[in-house]
Amino acid sequence: MSRVELTDLLAYLVFPGYAFLVLMAFFLEWLDRKTLAKVQDRYGPLVVGPSGLLQPVADFIKLLSKEDILPKGASRGILTAAPILMAALPLTALFFIPVNGHRALVCFEGDLIATLFILVIMALLVFLTGWASANAFAAEGAMRSALQMLSYEIPLALTAICPALMAGSLCISDIYAGQARAGLPFIALVPPFGFLSFVIFLICSLAELERVPFDAPEAETEIVAGWMTELTGRRLALIRLGRNLSFLLMAGLMASLYLGDPLTFHVAWLAPLAFVLKALACAILMSFVRGIVARLRIDQTLRFFWTYMIPLAAGVLLATKLILTFFG
Amino acid sequence: MAALTPRFDIERFGAMKVGSPRHADILIVTGPITRESRPRLIRIYEQMPEPKFVMAVGACAISGGVFSGCYNVCGGACNVLPRVDMVVPGCPPKPEAIIDGLVKLIEALKRARR
Repeated sequence: MSRVELTDLLAYLVFPGYAFLVLMAFFLEWLDRKTLAKVQDRYGPLVVGPSGLLQPVADFIKLLSKEDILPKGASRGILTAAPILMAALPLTALFFIPVNGHRALVCFEGDLIATLFILVIMALLVFLTGWASANAFAAEGAMRSALQMLSYEIPLALTAICPALMAGSLCISDIYAGQARAGLPFIALVPPFGFLSFVIFLICSLAELERVPFDAPEAETEIVAGWMTELTGRRLALIRLGRNLSFLLMAGLMASLYLGDPLTFHVAWLAPLAFVLKALACAILMSFVRGIVARLRIDQTLRFFWTYMIPLAAGVLLATKLILTFFG
Repeated sequence: MAALTPRFDIERFGAMKVGSPRHADILIVTGPITRESRPRLIRIYEQMPEPKFVMAVGACAISGGVFSGCYNVCGGACNVLPRVDMVVPGCPPKPEAIIDGLVKLIEALKRARR
């Protein structure tokens, strides 16, 4: 095997490929639990590993060893395939994110659209899992997640187009590089629309990840655990890993679409570090929101998105396009 | 509840409250078992995936406490469930005692593995 092929292989398997992404996903769960605990004036995980750092890994291994229960009437095929896909799909999409700070492992014109498409499939898988569980609570959670998808998907797509317009490209790596060329991160460009677009993306990400205040599909205080109610053992472990990977994906998308900068982009060793730190900052922001707000009912979520977010997202897109057309 | 909240914070040991019995490892019984709640408790216990453990917290949950002998009380978790792995006495038990019970349960498990 030639040297070039070997480095390629290492890139796919280690950094910024599988090993790095899965470790980051575990790290993000730890960070999320720690941030939430800090907001609530607690310690959070503390005993397993230094500062509880190994807690998510321990939980994952524990779940792998638990009994695997398939309820009577549940669809074995769907409940087997969905968790695998829910872990694999965000991992696929993460390959489009320029984690090394320059160019993603896989990048082609339109991978932003492909990522949005993967996010839709994730929501459909959630619905299928809940529906196939043959449980009243799971079905209720599935319905809610489908309703929620109808609300956040449109503003998410609209607002993700804004950075693409700025950079004149639908490739996430090019958008990230475009901000380095422009000299400013997109969040600060065409004020205040860049910032507004970022905020809309943040809110839609929270809904996409089913995090507070948009966690009605798995509201543990009313419908047990929503669409995840009947999942045990390996299925639950894979789904939890998948959710952490999605969390990483949304944080990575935010960092690459809105927080590109010319300072670190050209320094080879600094670029991956800066990118990871930006993504972590976005993740902490999302965890912080989780600690300070309460849950919305599903009808409130729908009303919020349809009456405020969609018009706002469309307005921001229009304004960005007009400013770009007339002022360059 | 106090064991979950900031003052005692049981999440330090990695334990969290979960919504579904399917996600749970430990079932915590906190009150006397009535005729009405007995089949439900057994059903919840059966829904949990192996390996699973039961903690009876408080005198009522252990034996029925002051309610034992009432016409509608079947006693505590020990009388109803096939197993109780850890009992935490007290009426009510202190949060420290609950956390201590949990940690001792974990230590007992470690010893059993060796």
